[in-house]
Amino acid sequence: MKKVISYIALFILGFAFLMPFFIMILGSFKEVEFAQMDPLFWIPEDPTIGNYLYIMRDGMFVRWIWNSVVITIIPVLSQMFLCAVLGYIFAKKQFVGRDLIFWIFMGVIMIPQQLLIIPKYIMFSDFGWINTYWALIVPEVWGIMGVFLVRQFLQNIPNDLEEAAYIDGASDLQVFFKIILPLSIPVVATVGTFSFISNWNDLFQPLIYLTEETMFPITLGLASMLGKEGNFGIEMAGSAVSFIPTFLIFLFFQRYFTEGIQMSGMK
Amino acid sequence: MVTVSKALTIKKTKPPLGKRLKKEWNRNAIVYLFLVPILIHFTIFQVYPFLLSFYLTFMDWRIIGEPVFVGLKHWQYFLHDSLAWKAIWNTVKFSIYYIVPTMALGLILALIINSGVRGAKFFKGIFFLPVVTSFVIIAGIWGWLFKGTEAGMINFILSFFGIEPQLFLSNSSQALAVLAGLSIFKVAGSTMIYYFAGLQSIDKQLYEAAQMDGASTLRIFWTITFPLLKPIHFYVLITTTIGSFQIFDSAFLLTGGGPNYATTTLVYYLYAQGFTSLNLSYAAVLSYVLFFIILVISLIQRKYLGKDSNLY
Repeated sequence: MKKVISYIALFILGFAFLMPFFIMILGSFKEVEFAQMDPLFWIPEDPTIGNYLYIMRDGMFVRWIWNSVVITIIPVLSQMFLCAVLGYIFAKKQFVGRDLIFWIFMGVIMIPQQLLIIPKYIMFSDFGWINTYWALIVPEVWGIMGVFLVRQFLQNIPNDLEEAAYIDGASDLQVFFKIILPLSIPVVATVGTFSFISNWNDLFQPLIYLTEETMFPITLGLASMLGKEGNFGIEMAGSAVSFIPTFLIFLFFQRYFTEGIQMSGMK
Repeated sequence: MVTVSKALTIKKTKPPLGKRLKKEWNRNAIVYLFLVPILIHFTIFQVYPFLLSFYLTFMDWRIIGEPVFVGLKHWQYFLHDSLAWKAIWNTVKFSIYYIVPTMALGLILALIINSGVRGAKFFKGIFFLPVVTSFVIIAGIWGWLFKGTEAGMINFILSFFGIEPQLFLSNSSQALAVLAGLSIFKVAGSTMIYYFAGLQSIDKQLYEAAQMDGASTLRIFWTITFPLLKPIHFYVLITTTIGSFQIFDSAFLLTGGGPNYATTTLVYYLYAQGFTSLNLSYAAVLSYVLFFIILVISLIQRKYLGKDSNLY
């Protein structure tokens, strides 16, 4: 009996959670029409790939995707590397002020990004970074949360291997690249997936720093399409395309997401 | 005594300076090579803006022209700015709509996933999917679902129950709740992950003992499961509360703060002041108000989690 209730709830909720994604995918194959008087509008009678062809021919859309790729890939790679290095430093190295610096980092996490965005806007205006990739890449090359995750991970790993390598005359750079980095692959993958999602989906920062349509990432581009009547199919096709990378990352790295979320709760 | 003898042995074998430096470099090069640039980066992009923003609150700083010192003018304006207080009140209302349902839905999802059903992993993925999906995608679909005419799908469903078409996003008493619904849908999956981890850490023997005593499922839930999840409840409560005070994307995408300022949340108002009205100094004041609210919530978290630090 209990099992039956569980299964019924599971299917109802599963369906409800998938519904918006069904609407997105089915809607994207719907012919472009001006009027949408039908509540089941998203169910295509004769499916067409016209919406996809439209956005692919539309230079702007391709440009937006490209912008998103640039402002996502660079921070992701650099965060994976730098957070691994810093996590290692804070987990294993002994130096004056180590714990103080780390706790300052952890304190700064409490500062909402909305607070930093106003002064950063002024700074970036001075730097000439408005409407450039720099404004979205340079501040994101490492992240406190990532450092925290790697540190947490490495603290649970015994020092034996490292010590043995030092006795064999290895330098710490060799120890890091040959021992620590390979060991940290799971947590570095977590840092990468987190960084990917936060950068690929970010709307607020691009909204502030980018005003030229040609510089928009896909989030801002889609936002500019939102709510234009008669655009539903095109908008859904655009959403679906922008969702593909997220979905692939999710499919292959889901474990790292959930582990990362749990780890971030272990403060 | 041990420290003294240790010090003595070190002194005895102390190598010349050059050799020590070389050894230090050999063992700690990575600290010098990476920590120094990162601290500079941290100062430029975190510490300096934080201080600059505070300084900004005492200045008249438009984008063009020289900044002028005006003292507490903006802070005083904030105290009497009824729209700012409305924005804070809207944010509080949003939290009320959002926090408990998100926690409850997350817990329900975790309970179902944890009940030993088949395909649990698959469904866990489905429930988590909105967490990784961008607000823009979900808002696009949400806005269409909650279209305020007969052509909207939710209105279509409601019509089966004899309910008149609702305006939803164009109705000032419904819009905020619709936005909260979007956030619940988007965030419940991550709440589920915390609860799932919590459920898995509960000792199975407790359930076996309770079942042996003939306790009902509901009773087991309220006397064993729910109380034992207390640290998770607390952690999730804090993170969803902080999240709810930062709500912006859905208001920006779907309502533009309207109708009649009904969805002007604190961050939306901050955005509108800073980047629509170009009143950066006043936006900085609002951002500090946000910061103080989040600080208080975080300090409460520290205070209570300090006692209960071993969460998982």
